[in-house]
Amino acid sequence: MVVGDVTTGTDLLVIGAGPGGYVAAIRAGQLGLDVTLVEKDEYGGACLNRGCIPSKALITATGLKHDAANAEEMGIHANPAVDMTQMMSWKDGVVDQLTGGVEKLCKANGVNLIEGTAEFDGENSVRIVHGGEGQGSESLDFEHCIVATGSRPIQIPGFEFDGEHVLSSEHALSLESVPDELVVVGAGYIGMELASVYAKLGTDVTVVEMLDDVLPPYEDDVSRVVKKHAKDLGVEFHFGYSASDWAETDDGIVVTASPAAADGGQAAEAEGEIEELELQADKVLVAVGRQPVTDTLNLEAAGLEPNEQGFLETDDRCRTDVEHIMAVGDVAGEPMLAHKGSKEGQIAAEVVAGEPSAVDYQAMPAAVFTEPEIGTVGLTEAEAEEQGFEPAVGKFPFQASGRALTTGETDGFVRIVADEPSGFVLGAQIVGPEASELVAELGLAIEMGATLEDVASTVHTHPTLAEAVMEAAENALGHAIHTLNR
Amino acid sequence: MPQEFKLPDVGEGVAEGELVEWLVEPGDTVEEDQAVAKVETDKALVDVPSPYNGTVKELLAEEGEMVPVGNVIMVYNVEGEDDLDDTSSSADAAADAGTESADADAGADDAAASADAGEPEEVETPEGRVFAPPSARKLARELGVDISQVDGTGPSGRVTDADVQAHADAGAEDDAGAEESAEPATADADAGEASSGGSAASAQTASAQTASAQRTQQAPSPQGVEAAGREKTLAAPATRKLADEKGVDIDDVPTDETRDGEAFVTPEAVTEYAEAMQEAQAADAGAMAAGETMGADGQRETREPYKGVRKTIGDAMANSKYTAPHVTHHDEVDVTELVETRKRLKGEAEERGIRLTYMPFVMKAVVAALKEYPQVNVSLDEDNEEVVTKHYYNIGVATATEAGLMVPVVDAADRKGLLQLSSEMNEKVQKARDRTISIDEMRGGTFTITNIGGIGGEYATPIINHPESAILALGEIKKKPRVMTDENGEDAIEIRHVLTLSLSFDHRIIDGADGARFTNEVKKYLENPELLLLE
Repeated sequence: MVVGDVTTGTDLLVIGAGPGGYVAAIRAGQLGLDVTLVEKDEYGGACLNRGCIPSKALITATGLKHDAANAEEMGIHANPAVDMTQMMSWKDGVVDQLTGGVEKLCKANGVNLIEGTAEFDGENSVRIVHGGEGQGSESLDFEHCIVATGSRPIQIPGFEFDGEHVLSSEHALSLESVPDELVVVGAGYIGMELASVYAKLGTDVTVVEMLDDVLPPYEDDVSRVVKKHAKDLGVEFHFGYSASDWAETDDGIVVTASPAAADGGQAAEAEGEIEELELQADKVLVAVGRQPVTDTLNLEAAGLEPNEQGFLETDDRCRTDVEHIMAVGDVAGEPMLAHKGSKEGQIAAEVVAGEPSAVDYQAMPAAVFTEPEIGTVGLTEAEAEEQGFEPAVGKFPFQASGRALTTGETDGFVRIVADEPSGFVLGAQIVGPEASELVAELGLAIEMGATLEDVASTVHTHPTLAEAVMEAAENALGHAIHTLNR
Repeated sequence: MPQEFKLPDVGEGVAEGELVEWLVEPGDTVEEDQAVAKVETDKALVDVPSPYNGTVKELLAEEGEMVPVGNVIMVYNVEGEDDLDDTSSSADAAADAGTESADADAGADDAAASADAGEPEEVETPEGRVFAPPSARKLARELGVDISQVDGTGPSGRVTDADVQAHADAGAEDDAGAEESAEPATADADAGEASSGGSAASAQTASAQTASAQRTQQAPSPQGVEAAGREKTLAAPATRKLADEKGVDIDDVPTDETRDGEAFVTPEAVTEYAEAMQEAQAADAGAMAAGETMGADGQRETREPYKGVRKTIGDAMANSKYTAPHVTHHDEVDVTELVETRKRLKGEAEERGIRLTYMPFVMKAVVAALKEYPQVNVSLDEDNEEVVTKHYYNIGVATATEAGLMVPVVDAADRKGLLQLSSEMNEKVQKARDRTISIDEMRGGTFTITNIGGIGGEYATPIINHPESAILALGEIKKKPRVMTDENGEDAIEIRHVLTLSLSFDHRIIDGADGARFTNEVKKYLENPELLLLE
């Protein structure tokens, strides 16, 4: 352990070992750069430790439990018992395997690993403070730096995370027991995913959302499917409310929700609820979004300043205003998605190595692992119109998919948006079983400049869910076989 | 987000410019195309237009500073940037590849070994959809191509790798054209028996043959108004625009004003000249009515651009003539025996498939003379102030081609026989005419021979193929009366074959006496071709 202050140098310093940072470091190592990766606690960042991976583990486990308990129609009668401790330890095993893998990969690619928190003390140097007491700090000079500090959950006033009563998403992924009643503040994708997890474990879940619907960024017909399923799972919704306070009671807590200021309580009023709500619960999960982490960096010393939203702005080469300092992933702006961070990390490392890389992706796919899943990529019909295309839209409901019927999950659809005159595929919205996987094909179609004809003419395996993509393309062309063409 | 503005290439391939004056200061709001600075290059004083709408945040160059092209000279706060979504990054409205140049900081990238100055310019990622696969987009960046400018040939106009490559090649051809034209050595005149030649005259012939797309003079200078006809004129963009509007060529506008030795034209001068022209044109109209002769197309003059190979030849000629003080030594030589010798050998050579001209004999004679007078096989290394004597004999043969003058070089002429010289020369001359000759085959000459005699004429004042130091022009071999003295000392006039020689040499390093002695030596071999057997 380094004690005192020692100055060393590196070609490329990467701050943060999440999906943006570790990918950047590995790519830079492959390209022969002398690269140092600084991580304050966990390799893999929020995604592997506190986000995508543990949440997907729990979604799968609780989904399995739920499906087993609800398969009477298929002739299966079961009442699975849940061992929460074992479920969490399985989940932790998955996380450990992945994070350990990241560390090994970094080392195998010649990345120098340093544990600590980095802050700039100039345009070309950082001070790295090591965790724990008396472990000192060191200074590190760099030629280039990639900031990949990621994001953290936003706290709302009066709801400081304590891990006992007020939970962040991280806490909600590590509960030792199943709460009887849970209030979820925020109906975004994190809130909706975790609401499903606990609803499936038998918790009475109440969702409080400031806006008037779930999953605000998605189109109505997409989010509607997810909301219907959540309601079927027993999730209760209060739209147009924001959580204003909470207090401990004898047997738990009570969360106070007030008509949301954002719309003057109109949504609440429309439902006849203009009074404050008092919601009984064991715990409250606050999932109102994430904010970029820049406050630990002492950006000023490097001549940098975050924008109003707190992000570091970058150009198409991931460079900030200070050209040799780049930013990737959540800290560099929306959308806050692991794969967007990884892509940028790769590009940033290549740019540092002098390769002709640039942020030039045509579409950024996104997935929500609700019940059922959502997968989107590229433009919606409205966006395509806005951008001056003449959209041709094709849709295929899973109701008409043989494979969907055999899985018992027939809600949802595949929608494909293309440019009518040229036929180029512009976007897709999928809600339904395996939507997160199905969207990959359409991502490739968009990047390749494929046309509807290309997608429709590609033979798809029968019987699979992926046939729905082909059918949607055929529908857009007006000659789908298994649906009526509109 | 602040946007950097790098000094664009304000001329044709200039590397740097002096920032003469800032026209804006921090805090100023500027509009796209508004002039923000005056920059003087070695070619002109130009206004640098803003590529963005925005507010000036910072000026990064001092007035009077020499700024390399590609250096950031100012930083903007660009309007409307906040509307952009983060993923599209800074590919903003100003995505003008022309103003983006190679990363000036590349040198600082020690780790970035490949990012050197030879890399293509950094191309900004176009905003909006691009219908091209990722591989084609990456290739475009590698080749410095703005993919949004590439015409796609795939389905619905999708851009393929091949389209990107074709676009890059098309751009490169333009560049290569310029480079290539800068390469061919330029002596005057032509060689080879069949071809024509004659100093500038032959070059003009050659270029006249290729004269492409002759531009009819838009604004003929009427009688009584003198067109200045300069090559370069400094003028403000507004003045140039005015000249365009008035239909006058800015280079023709007379002026007494200069800036840094270059003619400088004011708007007033343009107006004055335009008015004078109008008056004179009115007078010309009268003259035309009176039956003055005009060109075939009804124009008094026609104009074509002075550029490409023509200009390269011209520049090389001017450089040589202005650099090396030329002296030309003239003499004539009785080649009656050479004519007979060649006649005898011609058939022999033909049997071996080689067309034997006089040129190989002259080459042999020249090489023999150079060996005798190495002080002629020299060049002047001006940088190091040293006279370089070459101990090898690479003989250039000036050749008229359709593209202009070229000088293929026969290497190591001292080690080659007549037939080999002949075939090698014929081959290279043909390649030059076919334009399949490589640059290397035209480099490294130590002495040039040019044959004007093919066309006719006797004496010339050839221009040295700089940095060589001497050039020999051959006139036409003519039958002439010559006084011959027989073994008894009796003089008689005989009909003899006579060749005229004109040797130009660089008087800085070759004295007149050496030039004359060298010529005598050449004469000796040409008069007595059997002496070549000893070589």
